[in-house]
Amino acid sequence: MRTYLTRRILQLIPVIIGATLIAFFILSLVSDPFAAMIENPKIKLADIVRLKHQWGFDLPIYLRFFKWFGSVVVGNWGPSLLYPGYSAREVIFRALPITLQVMSLEFIFSILLSIPLGAISALKQYSKTDYSLTLFSFFGMSMPTFWFGLMMMIVFSVWLKRPSGVPLLPPGGIQTPGMESAAFLPRMLDRGQYLIMPVIVLSLFSVGGWVRYMRSFMLEVLHQDYLRTARAKGLTERTVIYKHAFRNALIPIITLIALSFPGIVSGAAITEYVFNIPGMGRLVLSAELKNDFPTAMIALTLSTILVVIANLAADVVYSIVDPRIRYS
Amino acid sequence: MANELTLEEKSKGRESYSYWGLVFKRLRKHSMAMIGFFLLLIIIAVVILGPLIWRVSPTQQPEGMEDILLSPCAAHPFGTDEYGRDILARFLYGGRVSIFIGFMAAISSVFFGTVIGLITGFFGGKIDTVLMRLVDIMLSIPTFPLLIALASVLGKGVWQIILVIFVFGWMGDARLVRSVVLSLKEEEFSEAAKAIGVSPLRIMFVHYLPNVMAPIIVSTTLGIGGAIVYEASISFLGFGVQAPLPSWGNMLQHAQDYIFTHQALVWYPGIAIFLTVLSFNFMGDGLRDAMDPRLYR
Amino acid sequence: MYKTEVLLEVKDLKTYFFTDDGVVKAVDGVSFTIHKGEVLGLVGESGCGKSVASLSIMRLVDAPGKIIGGEIIFKGEDLLKKTPEEMRKIRGAEIGMIFQEPMTSLNPVYTIGNQISEAILVHQDIGGEEAKKRTIELLNLVGIPEPERRFNQYPHEMSGGMRQRVMIAMAMSSNPDLLISDEATTALDVTIQAQILELMKDLQKKTGMAILFITHDLAIIAEMADSVAVTYTGKIVEYSDVRTVFKNPKHQYTYGLLMSVPSLVAVETKVELPAIEGMVPNPYHMPQGCHFNPRCPFATETCRKEMPELKELEQQHLVRCLHPVQASKEVV
Ligand SMILES: Nc1ncnc2c1ncn2[C@@H]1O[C@H](COP(=O)(O)OP(=O)(O)O)[C@@H](O)[C@H]1O
Ligand SMILES: [Mg+2]
Repeated sequence: MRTYLTRRILQLIPVIIGATLIAFFILSLVSDPFAAMIENPKIKLADIVRLKHQWGFDLPIYLRFFKWFGSVVVGNWGPSLLYPGYSAREVIFRALPITLQVMSLEFIFSILLSIPLGAISALKQYSKTDYSLTLFSFFGMSMPTFWFGLMMMIVFSVWLKRPSGVPLLPPGGIQTPGMESAAFLPRMLDRGQYLIMPVIVLSLFSVGGWVRYMRSFMLEVLHQDYLRTARAKGLTERTVIYKHAFRNALIPIITLIALSFPGIVSGAAITEYVFNIPGMGRLVLSAELKNDFPTAMIALTLSTILVVIANLAADVVYSIVDPRIRYS
Repeated sequence: MANELTLEEKSKGRESYSYWGLVFKRLRKHSMAMIGFFLLLIIIAVVILGPLIWRVSPTQQPEGMEDILLSPCAAHPFGTDEYGRDILARFLYGGRVSIFIGFMAAISSVFFGTVIGLITGFFGGKIDTVLMRLVDIMLSIPTFPLLIALASVLGKGVWQIILVIFVFGWMGDARLVRSVVLSLKEEEFSEAAKAIGVSPLRIMFVHYLPNVMAPIIVSTTLGIGGAIVYEASISFLGFGVQAPLPSWGNMLQHAQDYIFTHQALVWYPGIAIFLTVLSFNFMGDGLRDAMDPRLYR
Repeated sequence: MYKTEVLLEVKDLKTYFFTDDGVVKAVDGVSFTIHKGEVLGLVGESGCGKSVASLSIMRLVDAPGKIIGGEIIFKGEDLLKKTPEEMRKIRGAEIGMIFQEPMTSLNPVYTIGNQISEAILVHQDIGGEEAKKRTIELLNLVGIPEPERRFNQYPHEMSGGMRQRVMIAMAMSSNPDLLISDEATTALDVTIQAQILELMKDLQKKTGMAILFITHDLAIIAEMADSVAVTYTGKIVEYSDVRTVFKNPKHQYTYGLLMSVPSLVAVETKVELPAIEGMVPNPYHMPQGCHFNPRCPFATETCRKEMPELKELEQQHLVRCLHPVQASKEVV
């Protein structure tokens, strides 16, 4: 088990480097960080010249990559051009917790919802429940995330109002001004109001797909010989389903969930944009828009690492659920 | 998933007709696939024939302010947008653009992915290692931010958007095709073909390609829907198709500013995207069921 | 045929599959009797309804299959009248079953110890520790070396033969009165197959349980069974004790089957008698009359019109054939 994990981690390092390299090349094509700097009166020309050298802009691109990579590894992430006066590190560590909050909520919510629903759909194949769940999942898979976000806003922020005339749910942002210093519970309740819509919007797509896949994995398992064996042993139907079928259907769904992780990160970016949430996704998009190369690069790298870590976590869970992996 | 059926038909020749006949028969019984098919037929008919009937320019901006953001009326059944352009005309033309982008992006991704999958699966070795690593890497980058970046480099034309979606779209198909080829390599006929000296290219295209047809068809169908959503998302952020040329995506670009006042701007293109993608998803699911080799025991 | 008490009596069992493309009469009016301690062989080509018949006894036929008629009297009570819960308590406790595919019949994610003990725990009122002890005893009984270590192994760590021993241990865990073995050795190598058959014979002698032994291999029947029922397209075509059937086969199908097993056929007869020609008919398009008529060299006009009855041709020898094999064409 330990050697297996070590091997997997070692395999992931080149993936992270490769992904960063691709991102670096594409972003280098896009943005000239110095264009923005020259326009920025707060940055002195001498600094720009110094930075040009420091970031390797006097070098060919592949060498520049290694120079950049080296300085990132040692923790020198450069200044944020988007938020002058702040370092990229500060900007990112302000955005990262928010994104992690949104994504982990969406992740837990989606898993808790889609796995049972998919299993029910399979167990009641061709019933009304199954058809409704199928329709629901197609609805989720076919709905463009950003548009669904806009629809939610129209319903919950424009049409539905509280008696006081305030929208039922805030159409964007992350916190009511003035709540920063409130006590923990009210602050969380306030945060919750802002997160409900983004989390639902972001979940819909995952849930739609996962329900559908969980259903088909479960159906596949339900036709396996070992379920017939389990029934021939005289086990109760409960045991047959929950112990023997469900556990096996979880194995492929774990892989699927891991594979959909980059999609969730992408989805989070556009959801944050729609709901004006100051998270990483929004940060990447605006950094790209504003030629903030250092911030965009770091944010992309961190997102990639997030994806890679999620894949690793899936591997671990996988090896726990499937004994065939542990020993191979 | 090795498509035993198609495989058998290959050797029997004549029966391959009955395989597709059977697929067709099952598809006709698949109510979701049929709903998807007819829905799509209607949508395509509307976007192709619509502009021929509704002969209003989708790009013309009237002088002055009085035609801006009109509610639906006789002259503009869907109203006008923030530049006073006719939304119905933009809607009809935009559908052409969006669906065209979806088709082209999905087909090119699948085509390239299939070629890569065939090559890596067939030759193995170094080519396989390198290309599959590339696939791993590209699959672990959150593509959307990079898609945006690439779109902003390449520019805002229809072909550029197709290229952008293609660049980040082929990896899944490559993996899929490779895995099918790997499982086919185990089969006897591969050994036999190699033993009697059939050329690699021939084995690849004559023996393997037909066997990956079923998953490829499903993947293309689902991919078109996915590409339409990608186009919409890119255009929504303002990196997609350059106005005044309309697409369903860029019609939504400023929609967020109007959700409080002019919701029609949000409704029409969004519903059209949703229904189009839904119909592709329905058809993809039906095709997958109809071509599932396990159903023909 | 057999002298002890009747354990299982299947009467006119009908199990049909109602598919989109039509009705498949997988089991169509099958009757047989198993006495205590008897080994009844059920034999026939693949697709003749043997598995469906055995699953019907366990009431484990999946949709679109349905038992639409008959009785299954086990220890004097009709299993088809039991509630699902009563039936569940019989499965694994009074009737054990083992299947053809040792590779897929065990759940890959649980240890074999877990999978055997759970069969014990569900039927017997004992604790976990004791179930484990009993499991290890069972593993010993079925000839698995180092049972304590094997207890914690997963199916993928075992060979096909070992897995089939595990399946037998599982089926034997509550000392059933009847064991159903559906092609339990078909997927195994010849040497392993012989070992497993030996084991089953041995266990049968030790426990005195009855076995419904399903196979398409007549050589195995000759070795294992007391009596034999030959099935064809969901019907029994010949039924008697094993000596009678092998010495004096009456149905043309039985005869053909015997001919196709070289080791069972006397050298001089082999030359003049070909194996059965053709294939089992398409279940959706059964031929008119005797279902065997398209493959039968002696079929007449009547054979093509009417399905013959299963008649007692000689004492204790039931045959469904209008032109039974002449005694002179004896084999073995
Ligand atoms: N799920 C099913 N759907 C339709 N027909 C079936 C199904 N299962 C079995 N059958 C049919 O029942 C018949 C008997 O099958 P089976 O009992 O498995 O044969 P055997 O065990 O003798 O080889 C076959 O003709 C088969 O086609
Ligand atoms: Mg069988």
